[in-house]
Amino acid sequence: MTKHELPVPRKIEERDAPPAPNMPDMSASRRKALKMGIAAMGTLWMGGGAYAASRTPEGHESNVTDAPVTNVASPKDRVPFFGKHQSGVTNPRPANGMIASFSVLAETPDALERLFRRLTERCVFLTQGGTPPDYDPRLPPADSGILGPVIPPDALTITVSLGNSLFEERPWLKPHRPLRLIRMTRFPNDALDAALCHGDLNLQICANTQDTTQHALRDILKNLADQLVLRWMQEGNVPVIQPGPDGLAESARNLLGFRDGSANPDSGDEALMNHLVWVGAERKEPAWALGGSYQAVRIIRNFVERWDRAPLWEQEAFIGRTKVTGAPLDQPHGRESDTPDYTKDPNGEKTPLDSHIRLANDRTPETQDNIILRRPFNYFNGVAKNGQLDQGLLFICYQADLEKGFITVQRRLDGEPLEEYLKPVGGGYFFTLPGVARKGDFFGSALIAALRA
Amino acid sequence: MNLKPFISTVVLLAGGVASGVALAQSAPLDLVGPVAEYKIYVSENVDQLAKETAKFVAAVKSGDVARAKALYAPTRVYYERVEPIAELFSDLDAAIDSRADDYEGAEKDPEFPGFHRIEYSLWEKNTASDVKQVADKLLADVKELQSRIGKLTFPPEVVVGGAAVLMEEVAATKISGEENRYSKVDLWDFKANTDGSYKIVELVRPLIAKKEAKFLAEVDRNFKTVYDILKPYETNGGKGYVSYEKLTDKDRTVMAAAINKLAEDLSTLRGKLGLK
Repeated sequence: MTKHELPVPRKIEERDAPPAPNMPDMSASRRKALKMGIAAMGTLWMGGGAYAASRTPEGHESNVTDAPVTNVASPKDRVPFFGKHQSGVTNPRPANGMIASFSVLAETPDALERLFRRLTERCVFLTQGGTPPDYDPRLPPADSGILGPVIPPDALTITVSLGNSLFEERPWLKPHRPLRLIRMTRFPNDALDAALCHGDLNLQICANTQDTTQHALRDILKNLADQLVLRWMQEGNVPVIQPGPDGLAESARNLLGFRDGSANPDSGDEALMNHLVWVGAERKEPAWALGGSYQAVRIIRNFVERWDRAPLWEQEAFIGRTKVTGAPLDQPHGRESDTPDYTKDPNGEKTPLDSHIRLANDRTPETQDNIILRRPFNYFNGVAKNGQLDQGLLFICYQADLEKGFITVQRRLDGEPLEEYLKPVGGGYFFTLPGVARKGDFFGSALIAALRA
Repeated sequence: MNLKPFISTVVLLAGGVASGVALAQSAPLDLVGPVAEYKIYVSENVDQLAKETAKFVAAVKSGDVARAKALYAPTRVYYERVEPIAELFSDLDAAIDSRADDYEGAEKDPEFPGFHRIEYSLWEKNTASDVKQVADKLLADVKELQSRIGKLTFPPEVVVGGAAVLMEEVAATKISGEENRYSKVDLWDFKANTDGSYKIVELVRPLIAKKEAKFLAEVDRNFKTVYDILKPYETNGGKGYVSYEKLTDKDRTVMAAAINKLAEDLSTLRGKLGLK
């Protein structure tokens, strides 16, 4: 019987060798390579280091909410697993994503360590790809087989985040809770379904294809059945689009038909990400949390039939952007990346004061610390009991300070006219663990060390 | 005795599966004793099922709703323990134990039969008057089951596989409380399914005790978790259980994990015994 402590990803081709540990996420690589006219994206993206986050020659910012571009994704795309931060936060969204939220069975530090170690082992294997072991045919196979005999990486990322209840319900863990981690509370427009809220631990699983995200989920459910009980999950996707005629990638559209994420901060700007997204020493968080982030998840149903019956001018006024291009309303012939100038429109004659984008980000210096990194997916859940479509936004965002980030922004949005068309029904607040530094390290190793100190 | 060694190149992801995957080399012959013993266990339970169903049906037919309600869960226990064998006769399993979900017209569907149809009338309508014919049919079906099982040659793979089948039952329909949704007596079914599964493990234990000690320890640990969780919910000196609704979320979660792990581990039991 052979044992693989940490399964080494099997190379699909020699040139696909996994990048060295500690490489930064390749957040800007897709757009950059696209603009450089390079076709073989899959290989490049995986190739890693040389394409580390940076601005494009044109100075266009990289944005995790860019729509994936047609014919660029490849099953060979491999996102680095090891690093200071987890993948799945600042690297661009692939076409599919999900949040799966679990109850955790771990009543001692040893049990928690066991869970984290096994989870790490599964994530390394799944995200880097390889061949599952062959079992005797009289046994259930090791792998579901839905991706065939060799598991391609397919841009898979599995991002592990911890919920308030994990800490709250365990006296030995409670003193180590991240300072700003709380249980999500109701906002005025919410209609929260308890069966779709909170959780001890969640996995954000993203990949080029839905088969890959589902394969990863099934693998983890099978291998960690004794410590993870699935409570709820929500899948979503991002439209894959052709690049614009100028070669620029665009933000993906949400189910209201608008570009979503146009004002996202530049995820390729490491200093900016260190300020807005990653927990640094200046936050006074427990030392184990450095390099982590706060994650807010919201399942926001969109009343799409009703929205489709709203006049175009009203839709644009509610959002604060033109529908076709995403340009701000004060520069309707501009681009979505143009910055609105509210100083010239103090009364909201061009961009209404209560429009979504103006409430969320008024572009003043005082609110720049409230900027969050959005990484949402659209969801389609079939039909509701009333015969209307059950679809909307699986909203996911990351920030270094939950209170200054999502909570403050959402409070500003409370009562916005757009609420008539939105109904948040689930989600929760979580703390995204720091990255797994290297082979042999595991998720939450610093937390486990702190528990034993 | 067939001692042909099995493929020895089986590998295991560390920690991914609880125990080793090197298969036991016991041949099907070893199972003659356990299977014979299991047949006795099943026959005893089915005989008891027929006896208790007769009492239950008599109560229904006499219109004694209170007595029928009291007899409902204890009668079903005998069925739930041996479900993997009863399920070999799919026509009878459907007639005896199908749920409203299995019918397009749900509770109102005239084809909805058996225990759960009667359960629906007793708890939702507090009457037995509209299910007297259903009760007659139930008793006839149970007697037919008894007769067919008496003539059945027990396939070893079904017997051994039954340990996992029972855990799959719990995982799929009991943990959510949807099996006995009107009476809320699911904890009785939990216990009966678990007993039935544990019985099978006990019968084959000597065959794999040495080679699969680690596996059995993990299985025992999870059975113990299920029994420990159920214990505080007992009533009447261990003869019954409180309503499923009393089960706390925390206990349900602990139980769900143990049941899922048992389903995973016991799914390898046939292979470990050299069965297909």
